[in-house]
Amino acid sequence: MHNETPLKGHISKRFDHELEDIRNRVLTMGGLVETQVNNGLKALLESDSATAKIVAESDYAINSLEVEIDERCVQILARRQPTAGDLRLVVAIIKTITDLERIGDQAEKLGIFELELIDEGASSSQFVKLEHLGTLVSNILHNALDAFARMNAEDALLTIAMDSKIDGEYEALQRQLITHMMEDPRNIRNTLRVSWCARALERIGDHATNICEYVVYLVQGRDVRHTDYASLTQTNDD
Amino acid sequence: MSNIKLVEKNLKKRYARERRFQLYGKMAVLTGFIFLALLLIDIISKAMPAFQATEILLDIPLDHATLELEPAQKLDQDTLSALNYAGLIKTALRQAFPEVTNRSDKKLLYKLVSDGAEFTLRDHIISNPELIGKDSISLWIKADDDIDTLFKLETLTSRVKPEQVAFVEQLKQENRIATHFNTTFFSNSDSREPEQAGIKGALLGSFWTLLVTLLLSLPIGIGAAVYLEEFAPQNKLTDFVEININNLAAVPSIVFGLLGLAVFINFFGMPRSAPLVGGLVLSLMTLPTIIISSRAAIKAVPPSIKEAALGLGASHVQTVFHHVIPLAMPGILTGAIIGMAQALGETAPLLMIGMVAFIVDVPGGILDSATVLPVQIYLWADSPERAFTALTAATILVLLVFLATMNTLAILLRKHFEKRW
Amino acid sequence: MSIQQTATAPAIAQTQTNQKIMTSTSDTYKTVGRNIIPNPKFSTRNVNVFYGDKQAIFDTSLDIGNNEVVALIGPSGCGKSTFLRSLNRMNDTIPICRVTGEFTLDGEDIYAKTMDPVLLRARVGMVFQKANPFPKSIYDNVAYGPRIHGLASNNAELDEIVITSLEKAGLFKEVKDRLNAPGTGLSGGQQQRLCIARTIAVSPEVILMDEPASALDPIATAIIEELIDELRENFTIVIVTHSMQQAARVSQRTAYFHLGKLIEVGKTSQIFTNPRCELTENYITGKFG
Repeated sequence: MHNETPLKGHISKRFDHELEDIRNRVLTMGGLVETQVNNGLKALLESDSATAKIVAESDYAINSLEVEIDERCVQILARRQPTAGDLRLVVAIIKTITDLERIGDQAEKLGIFELELIDEGASSSQFVKLEHLGTLVSNILHNALDAFARMNAEDALLTIAMDSKIDGEYEALQRQLITHMMEDPRNIRNTLRVSWCARALERIGDHATNICEYVVYLVQGRDVRHTDYASLTQTNDD
Repeated sequence: MSNIKLVEKNLKKRYARERRFQLYGKMAVLTGFIFLALLLIDIISKAMPAFQATEILLDIPLDHATLELEPAQKLDQDTLSALNYAGLIKTALRQAFPEVTNRSDKKLLYKLVSDGAEFTLRDHIISNPELIGKDSISLWIKADDDIDTLFKLETLTSRVKPEQVAFVEQLKQENRIATHFNTTFFSNSDSREPEQAGIKGALLGSFWTLLVTLLLSLPIGIGAAVYLEEFAPQNKLTDFVEININNLAAVPSIVFGLLGLAVFINFFGMPRSAPLVGGLVLSLMTLPTIIISSRAAIKAVPPSIKEAALGLGASHVQTVFHHVIPLAMPGILTGAIIGMAQALGETAPLLMIGMVAFIVDVPGGILDSATVLPVQIYLWADSPERAFTALTAATILVLLVFLATMNTLAILLRKHFEKRW
Repeated sequence: MSIQQTATAPAIAQTQTNQKIMTSTSDTYKTVGRNIIPNPKFSTRNVNVFYGDKQAIFDTSLDIGNNEVVALIGPSGCGKSTFLRSLNRMNDTIPICRVTGEFTLDGEDIYAKTMDPVLLRARVGMVFQKANPFPKSIYDNVAYGPRIHGLASNNAELDEIVITSLEKAGLFKEVKDRLNAPGTGLSGGQQQRLCIARTIAVSPEVILMDEPASALDPIATAIIEELIDELRENFTIVIVTHSMQQAARVSQRTAYFHLGKLIEVGKTSQIFTNPRCELTENYITGKFG
């Protein structure tokens, strides 16, 4: 059932090319998104205004890629009438790029917050609290894109499991930030920024999880959204 | 009542009706088969005697004294043909029945053998001149047709005298009378004497007539069919021609005979009784058959093949000659052979153009006087001698064999050339 | 190639509202979309076709560009086959058929007195709905066209043409050991590819295809479609098809015919995602009553 090269081997070579093309574009988009997220983190952690500026201004590339891939998927649906694996691929891609675009938006936020901070001349020292969460998010995103690129459902399932760690870290961070705000109300403005960044990072983790779920759907044909992790790992044989 | 109940109720009736229908069909086929079988049995049983000829073994003296020849005399063709063969046979008969002395009895004795016996003997001697000088040779000589009938069928007719019956009895006891395969039937032409009569002339007459028919009707028929089907403009004139071709197929064949008599013989002055005229008349008769069947065959060529050729840039004529005619050929040939078979069995028109004459010579070409198999049957069926009945049946059998062969050939040709498309 | 097609499609979609154009099917109508293009291979203007008293095509103008696949779609009896067959004057063989209008191939009037239909059909080949190989060998099927047109001066040249044509039709590998076997013994899809090989052996400029895959199973159909895609590099192709999906898969432009009228022409990507006429939309979405 699991074809090693699910995109190849159609009688119509052009169809092969079209599928390969949208997949490559999604990978390109994924690469752009990952760079944005990493740059956003870097800007926050290192108070790097130049990188922050780049992050804040680079989202349009991701958006236009989304539009382009969407259009191509519509063309494939209209002209090729894909079925089975091909259909799942196209559907998974349409959904994946939406999540990728949202991740891009969140990454853009990171850059914008940093720029605002720098504009106000405030210290960004508090952002170091995000380092651990940032690493986790960066990893989960990387793993998710990797699972997509290799169309590996097992890796995708493992990656989904990582999200609970992020949620835990996010909770802890929120408590820490609330304490911080209660200690000194003057901190609230800055702490809220940190909280929003943490929120953005947590959302990125959720979107990455979604992508992994699409990979499982693409490879195994089962919908693993809104199910608990224990039942995910059971392979569906019916 | 629900629908399914209604259906169930009617089902029995429907099946019964179907079974009845099948039964009618089977009965019809069986009836036809019985009549065919009766016909064949009748003809075959009547024809069998004709393939056997009664022959009498005679010791014919060939010494020089009897032949009134000098031993040293050179035996050229003239001398050999001039010998008194009739006398020799009479001598041999007298020697076989030494007790017969009475003049009238002798006459009856001589009538045991066929009138043509002397020619059989002459041909034998001419081809074997070294036999001259021998004391005697034994030779099977054909019996007269009355004796033949008496011996084969063991029936007495008024034409056979009691003395002759006694002679036959005596020959039988001496094992000097027997039946052999009748080669004369196939090697001789018509004759007044049944035991001398054969169908070679009629066979060749049929052959020449059919040859003329084939050479005329096949090209004309195919040409007309191809033109009408592929090239003729669709207008009133074409429709008129089509209707008339169909009508021609229904014209009684004797009318064609009258036409042949009026046009070919009286107007063009062609020879009477000739296969040429017969062939012309039969061509007129078979043309509609060939045209109609050829048109059907051409119509049956799938238009997709024509379109394919036209689509490749073949012209109309190329399309017709490269694709339509080759594909229609099996059908055309079948039609032609069936037309030929019809022509082979045709009598009436040939009577009108004089092919009914008594002709002893074997025709050597299309201008010689000739008769054909069915006319020969007609002639013999009219003859009074009893032995002609058997000859008639035998000729019918030969004709049937030819017709069956032609029809089989038609089927084989169609099977062989028929291509899938 | 696909990049170019898709890049322009959103532009069309954006320039208009999604209000469908209600085309009147009365005698005067105007084809929606770009039915006239610059530098066409084939150009038709104001075509009317009559079968006796019955009019089958009404005032249709359609251009066909070089090296493109144009699909003609529409319900049965809409005149798409009739239109196709008037492009190589196959309608000439039907006595009651009358064609009016302007047809030019590379600027040459194909219905001119000086244009020989035999020559025209050598330039505009045709593949039919039912695979119709001649009941001859595979070799003779392909060699027939070159032979009647005298394209090969000797047997070696003829062999060359036959082999190249079979290769282009993607059939050579399958039949190379049995070129003398009857063409009718091949499978349906192979027979149709043989017919395509036979057509391209004459080196036409345009190939007309009248529902070439309608009698084939899906795999044979897919092979034919892939072949059409490859042939596009060397030939201009006009294909009539009953299968909208097929039109969507193989063509660059699609023309929708309805009751003898050319309703809409456009890039296939646009026709199948956002047709501008309601009639077209109803037909391709299966709402056609």
